[in-house]
Amino acid sequence: MLTKLALAGVKNRRRDYLVLLAGLTMSAAIFYMFANLATNQAFIKANAVIKSASVVFGFGAVLLALITIVYIMYANSFLLSMRQHDYGLFMMLGAKRRRVGQLVFLETLILGTIATVIGIVLGIVVSKFLVGFLLDQLGLHLSHLASFYLPAILFTAVLYIGLFILASLFNLTRLMRTTVQQLLHADQQANQPKSRPLRQFIGGLVGIGLLAVGYWAMAAIEHLQMTAIPLALVTITLGTYLLFHAAVLAVIRGLRHTKWAKKHLNGFLMGQLNFRVHDYTRMLTIVSLLFAMALGAITVGSGYHRQMPMTADSLGAYTVAVHDANAHQKHLINQLHVAHQATYTQKVQGKTTYYNAAELKTQPFQQIKSLQSSPNGKPQFYTESLAKFKKDGVTQLDFIMLNPNKLGDFAAPKIVSAAAFKQLKGTTYRVTTVRVKHMADDMAVLKQLDRSEQHRFPQASTQLTIGTYQSFEMMNGIFGGLEFIGYFLGIAFLAMLASCLMFKILSGAPGDLRRYTMLNKIGVRRGLMRASLAKEIGILFAIPGIMGVIDVLFGLQMFKPLMAKPMSPYLGIGTTFAIFIGLYVIYYVITLGLYLNLVMPREVVRD
Amino acid sequence: MTNAVVDVHHLEKTYGKAGERPYTALKDLNFSVAEGEFVGIMGASGSGKTTLLNMLSTLDTPTKGDVIVNGHDVTKMRSNQLSDFRAQEVGFIFQDFNLLESLTAEENIGLPLALQGTASKVMDQAIHAVAETLSITDLLKKYPAQLSGGQKQRVAAARAIVHQPSILMGDEPTGALDSTSARELLDLLTTINRDQHMSVLLVTHDPFSASFCQRILFIKDGQIGSELNRGDLDRKDFYQQVLTELGTFSE
Ligand SMILES: Nc1ncnc2c1ncn2[C@@H]1O[C@H](COP(=O)(O)OP(=O)(O)OP(=O)(O)O)[C@@H](O)[C@H]1O
Ligand SMILES: [Mg+2]
Repeated sequence: MLTKLALAGVKNRRRDYLVLLAGLTMSAAIFYMFANLATNQAFIKANAVIKSASVVFGFGAVLLALITIVYIMYANSFLLSMRQHDYGLFMMLGAKRRRVGQLVFLETLILGTIATVIGIVLGIVVSKFLVGFLLDQLGLHLSHLASFYLPAILFTAVLYIGLFILASLFNLTRLMRTTVQQLLHADQQANQPKSRPLRQFIGGLVGIGLLAVGYWAMAAIEHLQMTAIPLALVTITLGTYLLFHAAVLAVIRGLRHTKWAKKHLNGFLMGQLNFRVHDYTRMLTIVSLLFAMALGAITVGSGYHRQMPMTADSLGAYTVAVHDANAHQKHLINQLHVAHQATYTQKVQGKTTYYNAAELKTQPFQQIKSLQSSPNGKPQFYTESLAKFKKDGVTQLDFIMLNPNKLGDFAAPKIVSAAAFKQLKGTTYRVTTVRVKHMADDMAVLKQLDRSEQHRFPQASTQLTIGTYQSFEMMNGIFGGLEFIGYFLGIAFLAMLASCLMFKILSGAPGDLRRYTMLNKIGVRRGLMRASLAKEIGILFAIPGIMGVIDVLFGLQMFKPLMAKPMSPYLGIGTTFAIFIGLYVIYYVITLGLYLNLVMPREVVRD
Repeated sequence: MTNAVVDVHHLEKTYGKAGERPYTALKDLNFSVAEGEFVGIMGASGSGKTTLLNMLSTLDTPTKGDVIVNGHDVTKMRSNQLSDFRAQEVGFIFQDFNLLESLTAEENIGLPLALQGTASKVMDQAIHAVAETLSITDLLKKYPAQLSGGQKQRVAAARAIVHQPSILMGDEPTGALDSTSARELLDLLTTINRDQHMSVLLVTHDPFSASFCQRILFIKDGQIGSELNRGDLDRKDFYQQVLTELGTFSE
């Protein structure tokens, strides 16, 4: 009988359960996808060339696990808030506590298990498509990426089911301790925060101190090594919570007695915020962390994406060098945005490559200045007189490597007079060097050109060509994994952020529906109600957004060692921030629309 | 009756959307309330009392007929006008108080004034004046959760009259109160009616509450079935009369 009643209760709140299930499923799917990447040894060995990349993978997984724990706690409290009234009612009607307890335990566990199973399946499916799509978009190639990986499945299942068992036990003890009366009226209880200004002030100060420690830890990652991330995570979380708590209460207290608060619905808004401040600060802390991590991850990802070609631009004097360009290659070169192009005749005897001095005189070989001497960090190019070039220019790697052997065996190149060059025997080549304006603009054509050159000179032992495009490809191999993790985690955190807010909103809706119905009855204009809701939800979005941006600005320090000069984690973040904030605002508008739909009293229709 | 606060002509309300079986809750209903009058509306459960009050307070719209409150034809009003009308002309006391639990008693009471943009000094004065009348001055800083049912209803009454509406309406305001609190509230309503000449329209099924009114309308089958005038009777005698009327009325 009781089971039947419980099922009926679930049926009545289908929509809420669906949201909860969807959120949990999504979280499990995301976790699986990441666990798949993080634990797949073959994949890591093949792609994470540098040690720090695999460290990042590991930390990514730990971070995601921590977030998942918090997330499940949050979802669980949503579940409990949804159900406690029903449970209270059952007990009041005479159901035994133990029996209701069993019900709570089972319900939580069943919901969790369903979410985990669907989530893993979803994760496998999405891995197959999304990951491939993302890699494609980014122009990356990561080998050994399988969508189905048993250890990851087990890892996800164990973590999630374990967490749900804990959550069930938590709900059980919670229920056993609360009185029926409290359960029945939980949503109407006013837990008015006690105002202890001094304590809150101290709390705020401690919060700021903790934040400072966290920000310092991130900047000092090279020094602190492995301890930096957990230290920052703990201090920033606690610091954010304390700061929000103190600041929100102080602001409300300050505003509540002003004239402003006595106009229109402002007082109501303040009351709402004050009323829910405990509840809100917890949520705001989580959301601000998620915001920071999503934005941070995407910033780092896009930072690599944008800056790798830029960095490559500054690594050498030419982007590609083509020997005896064929018609197809000439055609490709014509499509490039050429900044500088030169062609030299080479004669090769054994390992030595000879150049014609006359050619080098009329068309001096361009060299790149070292970045340190460049004022604005942009690469600068120069030429020198032939005499000077003979002395030191010929020893430059850029020039040496123009030999047709590419990276094969070679000796120092020699420059001889036009007459002597003519006399020389040996195979003749004509090498064309091309430097494009910005590598980022010519990626596709450069890739084709590079491939065709590789194809024509397979003897180049390591399958490498020369020029800065080749350097870019190598960097891509090294940092591409980081770029991918950045985007992946960014999207994952953003999705979690979205569903966290969704939980918050839905769990607040029944109470707000009641409040706004009352306001409607006493004659509050609809426009005023809408504005009040827009403000309240706007504040909920704005606070973590602002805090998140600050977190990221400091947090990017962490990536300085991984983005060595001329790359910088801060370069060009404006666009990324703008796009991200744009998305966030769109999400705000959607959420607001949804919420208005849920809580605004129906308008009286006139015909 | 020249100075009618409420004037209802040929009011009809039919529930049910297209496709559903329509149900006519009120049918050709006529009555009026004079300025300063204390009128009760009685009737069996489901007879249409709440429906009528919802029409008067513009929370719902009639299917046919005119409803004129303090000179405004409420059936002609649109969205914002309706809200403003409720905010300015009507004071409403609900059975379940309808206080906002996130606001203190004081802030709850001030809400109708805040909506009209009243200056904060004027507002404070008005709040303290009604609080005095209703003996809730020492409750002002408390939150609804810290108040008893009777105290909550007095706060709600204060909110309903703080902006001097032209009519005070109550839908079973004593329904959730014990007899002492109910009596206190009814005494207060009588005082307000007498001292401030505020018209009161009270929906109730309880003869005791009804006996505080000057005139009682009995609704039956969506129409005014009969009417009872207190005249110069004292409350106890009127109470007897109400009981008798109910006895015959329900037959
Ligand atoms: N929204 C609605 N849709 C359809 N029918 C309704 C609606 N509201 C009320 N009714 C019907 O109209 C009739 C009158 O309802 P109303 O709520 O006015 O009764 P009441 O006199 O207030 O009763 P009570 O003393 O029990 O509160 C009832 O039969 C009810 O079923
Ligand atoms: Mg009713």
